[in-house]
Amino acid sequence: MRSQTTATEGRVETKATRPPERRRRAVKSSGLLLVAPAVLLVAAFTLYPFASALYTSTQLSSPILEEKFVGLQNYRDVIISSYFLDAVKTTSLFTAVAVPVLIVLGVLVALLLNEPFFGNAFLRAGMLLPWAIPASAAGVIWQWVFLDDSGALNASLYSLGVTNDYIPWLTTPSLARMAVVVVFIWTQLPLVSILLLAALQAIANDLYDAAAVDGASTFSRFRHITLPGIRPMLVIVTVYEVLMALTTFDLVYSLTGGGPGTATTLLTYFIWSETFTQLSFGQGAALAVIIALVSLVAIFIILRALPEDALVGEDR
Amino acid sequence: MKRRTLLRRIVIYGSALLLAIFWFGPFVLVAIGSVIPEANLFTFPPNWFADPPFLGNYKYIFTGEIPQTYLQRGAMRSMVSEEVRWIPYSVFNSFVVATAVMFIVLVLGSLASYAYARMRFPGRKGTFLFVLLSRLIPTVALAVPYYTIVQSLGLLNTRWALIGMYTALTLPFAVLVLTLYFKSIPREIDEAARVEGATPLQNLWYVTLPLSLPSLVGAGLFTFMLAYSEFLLALLVTNTRIARTLPVTLGTISTNPDVSWGLLMASIMIGSIPTILLIYPVWRFMVRGLTAGAGR
Repeated sequence: MRSQTTATEGRVETKATRPPERRRRAVKSSGLLLVAPAVLLVAAFTLYPFASALYTSTQLSSPILEEKFVGLQNYRDVIISSYFLDAVKTTSLFTAVAVPVLIVLGVLVALLLNEPFFGNAFLRAGMLLPWAIPASAAGVIWQWVFLDDSGALNASLYSLGVTNDYIPWLTTPSLARMAVVVVFIWTQLPLVSILLLAALQAIANDLYDAAAVDGASTFSRFRHITLPGIRPMLVIVTVYEVLMALTTFDLVYSLTGGGPGTATTLLTYFIWSETFTQLSFGQGAALAVIIALVSLVAIFIILRALPEDALVGEDR
Repeated sequence: MKRRTLLRRIVIYGSALLLAIFWFGPFVLVAIGSVIPEANLFTFPPNWFADPPFLGNYKYIFTGEIPQTYLQRGAMRSMVSEEVRWIPYSVFNSFVVATAVMFIVLVLGSLASYAYARMRFPGRKGTFLFVLLSRLIPTVALAVPYYTIVQSLGLLNTRWALIGMYTALTLPFAVLVLTLYFKSIPREIDEAARVEGATPLQNLWYVTLPLSLPSLVGAGLFTFMLAYSEFLLALLVTNTRIARTLPVTLGTISTNPDVSWGLLMASIMIGSIPTILLIYPVWRFMVRGLTAGAGR
């Protein structure tokens, strides 16, 4: 409230001359006033719910039973459950395969799009489509591609004479896992390539010119100019995609439903089914807190990897 | 030398072609699947192009008229899922929610970003980092509390609940993009206006925003896309047909084992229309906004 009064005074006073000390104070509080709605809204939708999740995770909580404090029981139950370990393994494997492949492909696609060729603009604009359509739709589209009995991929392979029988893509555990990776890459590659392309284009051309004068090979130009130039963006994109991979949900839901068995049950899908189909809110919340802690570790890594002033900028 | 450039061109066009097949192939298959009668889709060996394309699936979604091909084969009748008739309405729902979120985010986001880019105040760095890092808490960790909160507010199955949650989830990105962009505008322009006696709000409205159009469009469209596509939270807080957003309706239809694939394909085509319409502006403005932010 106090800041508001000061801000109004400040506005009125701008036209008159006034002592610099006062003016600075007015500007100070009006800055706080401008950021307040955004900050408060974000706080209301993160701090409170997260605190509430922490609380729920220590309760025996479900819609039918009465709440009861059980301490860290939920965490223990969750961590020793073989389903949880299974989901952790699946998620780690998924992330460890999908993200490196995605980043390498992203660099290659960015380099490709940085070259002039016929159809470049079309590809650049059109590739936003896989990224922009809802991921749940992407899951359905690819379910149709991979469908066992007569999916599009099977039909095409058969028509081309590559196979003479249908391949059960989504009901064979290893193939289903591969399918999830493919669809994840399909939806994420556009964004990764575009961000890396933006970084590529920010590299000054004279660097390449100078290297060409010095007779540097294509590879050493990539190694010594391109790679260092896109390094900050590579770090950001990698961390972002790790977070995306760790929290993948929509496409699993509509592509495989976590199956066959639990072959593609990633952590987020596991938390969701634990909470809303098994209705054990306490354990679901404990799982959520665990995955949030994993992400905090990722945050820590970002902060360490980025230079001090990379986010807020230098003039402070 | 000449051979090298030829090889280079082969590599470039070859990989561009592969990429185009990977990215657009599935869409082509969906488009084809949506105009082929169900019976032809599921024959072995494949016999997709036996009949001319038919638009019965689209017609059913909009008018409820059951296509002839479904009536002819009695067994196929159960596969006409009534859920798909809600697709146009779900598109509308998603569109309304996403548009509202976009406007709120742009208003709150540009106010905050202006302060972050141009003013000094206590807590500037701290609150900025807080807003950015808040997004790193995975949505699923917030899902259960959101559900309880929305339920206790009596907002289950309303657009308000979705708008509130999506605004909070998309604001951080908008604040980041806009702050970086505002900073790239020369400070002198701003100071000149201040000397003339403009208040921060006037400065923002008359000076900074008109100069930041690319980043505003970019951040706005990005926000729209995220809100239009969000699935997990929408799945939780909307469970009636009338409240569902497009991703949820699609998800529901796809998990129904009896669904007709032709209808599902047609639904996806209809649901993708808003996205397709927004592709060009996103490309044009977002990438510019990002480049301006990342470079400096």
